Amino acid sequence: MPLLKLENVTKRFGGLIAVNRVNLEIKAGQFIGIVGPNGSGKTTLFNIVNGVFFPEEGKVIFEDQNITILPPYKRAPLGIARTFQIPRPFCGATVRENIAVGAMFGTHGRYVNVDESLEIADNTIKRVGLRKHRDKPAGILTPVEKKLMEIARALAMKPKLLLMDEAMAGMHPNDIDRMVDFIKKIATEEKIAIVAMVEHIMRALLGMAEKIIVLHHGAKLVDAPTKEALEDPKVVEVYLGKNTKK
Amino acid sequence: MKKKLIKFYPLIPVFTVYILLFFIGKNVPGMWQLVAMLLFYCALGQAFNIFLGMTGYVDFGYVAFMGVGTYGMALAITRLASIEELGIGIIVAGFALALLMSTLLSLAVGAVALRLRGAYFAIATIGVNEGLRFLIEGARIWNGSEGLIFVSDINNILGRDTADALMTFWADVMVLVIAALAAVVTLYYMRSKIGYALTALREDEDAAKVMGINVTKYKIIAFITSSCFAGLIGAASWALKTPYVFPPEVFEIQYTIEAIIIVLLGGAGTLLGPVAGGLIYGISKYYLAVYVPGFQLLIFAPIIIVIITLFPEGILGMLKNRFQNTGLAHFII
Ligand SMILES: Nc1ncnc2c1ncn2[C@@H]1O[C@H](COP(=O)(O)OP(=O)(O)OP(=O)(O)O)[C@@H](O)[C@H]1O
Ligand SMILES: [Mg+2]
Repeated sequence: MPLLKLENVTKRFGGLIAVNRVNLEIKAGQFIGIVGPNGSGKTTLFNIVNGVFFPEEGKVIFEDQNITILPPYKRAPLGIARTFQIPRPFCGATVRENIAVGAMFGTHGRYVNVDESLEIADNTIKRVGLRKHRDKPAGILTPVEKKLMEIARALAMKPKLLLMDEAMAGMHPNDIDRMVDFIKKIATEEKIAIVAMVEHIMRALLGMAEKIIVLHHGAKLVDAPTKEALEDPKVVEVYLGKNTKK
Repeated sequence: MKKKLIKFYPLIPVFTVYILLFFIGKNVPGMWQLVAMLLFYCALGQAFNIFLGMTGYVDFGYVAFMGVGTYGMALAITRLASIEELGIGIIVAGFALALLMSTLLSLAVGAVALRLRGAYFAIATIGVNEGLRFLIEGARIWNGSEGLIFVSDINNILGRDTADALMTFWADVMVLVIAALAAVVTLYYMRSKIGYALTALREDEDAAKVMGINVTKYKIIAFITSSCFAGLIGAASWALKTPYVFPPEVFEIQYTIEAIIIVLLGGAGTLLGPVAGGLIYGISKYYLAVYVPGFQLLIFAPIIIVIITLFPEGILGMLKNRFQNTGLAHFII
């Protein structure tokens, strides 16, 4: 049984087809990379998986349950977590409170109380290395710290599936390395499926992936094991003139 | 054990203020009227904060719940006046009815309006307040625009002396108790999942949803709680202090505006903020009316604008920053 299955999913915005008949399967614990240039529909695909948008056509199936039109707040407890392309911390709340919210309403939310959630938050904060920012309002963090905090918040939800939207967009190369290391670490330590979306082909990150899906104009162009996908001529074509090195 | 107690420290300054107010009012001659007014504004701020402060949604129809609560008390007293054995129990019945009516109204309004976002919600709630008032007047519900007058009912049931004591003293004490209760509930919410959910949805509603928070449910919880306290304040401060009710008075939007000012002045979403806001607002209003009658608003408006500009997070936001990392931080939230 796949963890997540998309069947012929289509999402339109007016005349624009943002996601076009996409089929997709993700197994538990798998690390998957989704690549595609600007506007190729990556974020929209995430929004469909976690319920921000409902697709006009097709089905979203999570652990054999049809969740196509389930509201987002009911999906999180099933084990679906995400980070945002542009971080969306709860700015006025502290880093600790932000992450505790994840624990409180995530997969085990029903079984943990506030104190336990704060404890989970403290542990998660240590893991992502935000200890000195614990009691600061999340709004004053740097962009990189905000990304880390979002990942921590998502991890505190104890998800089965973690969707990471452009975890490294707009980052300084040093920070990118730090982030890649961190994602590698959680990918090996946690038994969760991770779907990482990136605009460019980043070998550092995608090297970890079992398979890569390439989106182009909303449609799936390639869906193949990592090595094959990266060498696919169609992929090179899509990125022609783009940074395909690192 | 100590950690458990620390959680309740923030109630100490709140209760200290209320107790001090009570003793000043009781022992300094001529002060009770001011104290009663301050208690009213603190209670109003504390009650409204549970919704406005904790969710960030503005309910321009808030006074409607005070109005409905006033009617609840008025109806209980006028309808049950013939049952003499009831005695002081009639007041209890009045509060129960006030609570029931404000709950029902907030459920009805909340279920519909809370699905709207920010500004749309605010506009919808203005309609609720005005609509309700015109409905009562137009359809001649509860005696329509003539209102309900029940001084004689109270006098008959309780006897003159008790009734006088109730109107001039005990009604205000009840407001104090309601304010204190609202503070306890606020702190309880802040320390429970409800508070975390409300903070999350106030900061970013869509992100909150994605994180598993049923935002509508938590907004409704805050809305009903806040509205119930408004109903109780109406019942105590309006119905019992001045035993009559006229629609234009109890649906006067000015009170909603005052509540908003108090919450923002003191610090939205904080525990102590509405108390600070209530005191500052009440004291300024009282003394401006004494010393510059007729010009209050002219002086008042700029003062409020200056304070809110200087301290965008309210007085409490400023205090919190100042006393951060000190022992006092446990008391100021
Ligand atoms: N809410 C929306 N309303 C209308 N159009 C939208 C909306 N969201 C996305 N789109 C459009 O859908 C298409 C796909 O956008 P999407 O954000 O999914 O792309 P992306 O692959 O995430 O791109 P990027 O690399 O820039 O993040 C784009 O043409 C975009 O303009
Ligand atoms: Mg995107």
